[in-house]
Amino acid sequence: MEIATLIVVVMVIVTALIFDFTNGFHDTANAMATSIATGALKPKTAVIAAGTLNLIGAFLSTEVAQTISGGLINEQAVTIGPEFIFAGLVGAILWNLLTWLVGLPSSSSHALFGGLVGAVIVGAGVEGVNFMGVLTKILIPALVSVVVAAMAATFATKIIGLITKGMDEGKVESGFRHGQTVTACLVALSHGTNDAQKTMGIITLTLVAAGLQPSGSGPELWVVAVCGFAIALGTYMGGWRVIRTLGKGLTEISTPQGFAAEASSATTILVSSHLGFALSTTQVCSGSIIGSGLGKGTPVNWSVAARMLVAWLVTFPAAGIVGALACAVTKVGMWGVIVVAAAAIAAALVILRLSHRNPVNSMNVNERSDVKLNADTAAQAA
Amino acid sequence: MIEQELMSFLTVLVVAIVVAGGISTLYALGLRLWAAGAVEVDEGTHLLPRLGSVVCFAACVAIVLFALWLMIPLFH
Repeated sequence: MEIATLIVVVMVIVTALIFDFTNGFHDTANAMATSIATGALKPKTAVIAAGTLNLIGAFLSTEVAQTISGGLINEQAVTIGPEFIFAGLVGAILWNLLTWLVGLPSSSSHALFGGLVGAVIVGAGVEGVNFMGVLTKILIPALVSVVVAAMAATFATKIIGLITKGMDEGKVESGFRHGQTVTACLVALSHGTNDAQKTMGIITLTLVAAGLQPSGSGPELWVVAVCGFAIALGTYMGGWRVIRTLGKGLTEISTPQGFAAEASSATTILVSSHLGFALSTTQVCSGSIIGSGLGKGTPVNWSVAARMLVAWLVTFPAAGIVGALACAVTKVGMWGVIVVAAAAIAAALVILRLSHRNPVNSMNVNERSDVKLNADTAAQAA
Repeated sequence: MIEQELMSFLTVLVVAIVVAGGISTLYALGLRLWAAGAVEVDEGTHLLPRLGSVVCFAACVAIVLFALWLMIPLFH
């Protein structure tokens, strides 16, 4: 085997694992933001639980997809080579970091697909992309998932309100604490069974393409293990900025609302993935939280919600542009790959550096007295 | 193609509303009945709400177990 191929394979594996890490990092909020905000779980306990469940989830479900792009790229006409995958991953990682910096939840899978599509457009031409697939698999679900989850959560919150009417509020609050914890754990587990697979699929298909693994075989145990650990570590590190936005930025959540939101999220995710089109966990969970606010009648901070919606719609093209740029540079050859890797590392360091200006961590995650957020919510309540 | 997608979304919407609403009803009812069943002096009449509460919570556990079964490919 050529040394150049080996280097590319190693590069793809390393980048895929970094993506996996940012995926977990970014998505802790989906499962745990409401539990942290209501105090059902201590912040540290919540991220440990979510990380562990993601790890377990990764080992429970190792049936990786046979295609990387999920029908977005015409894989009969275009072979998705390792350089495309590398460029796509770089786009997705940078987008994940950037949205984390501004504290907005966004779909890691949309970022990944966006990056890949951008890379393929530059590397193989527009005809390689199935634009109908982009519409029906990315854009429409992004809008629909919010509405579905929000409606379910509104309904569930209203029902809870009706049934528990007149009961001692403290009792209701503490009663729902356990239920909220269980439903949040379900969401975390389903995340592990879905999202770690994506990286396993990428690594496995790369190994197959390089002739290191027989075609059609499942992921090797070491691939499952490293992917599981990468996503679990990311989850454990906790994207506190995103957690804070979801838990405190959208609406004020009590434990019954948190229960309703997580139950709606878990159901929506499970049903949609059983019908063969997995809705984005991020969008579903954000929608549920908004719905739980609407159902209870607590004010929803629409400016934050609108910013989220914009971020979701921009995710695909933005990651695509980075992927396209990265692919254009990697085309030059080995040096191009090195330049892209160096540029990506530099950009990641800048983002990390910027995040130190207003750090969010397990200590101040439930604090709403920071930057613009507070002014917005105050204006809303007034 | 588009109609098919629309049908799937509608299915998700209906199932999500029914299941999320259902489990919320059960859990809230379970709590309510449990509170109603709390007794200062032991009287037989309180047994019914308490029993109802246990049934509600048991149904919640069953739903969660079913969700786990759906989630883990090993089981099917």
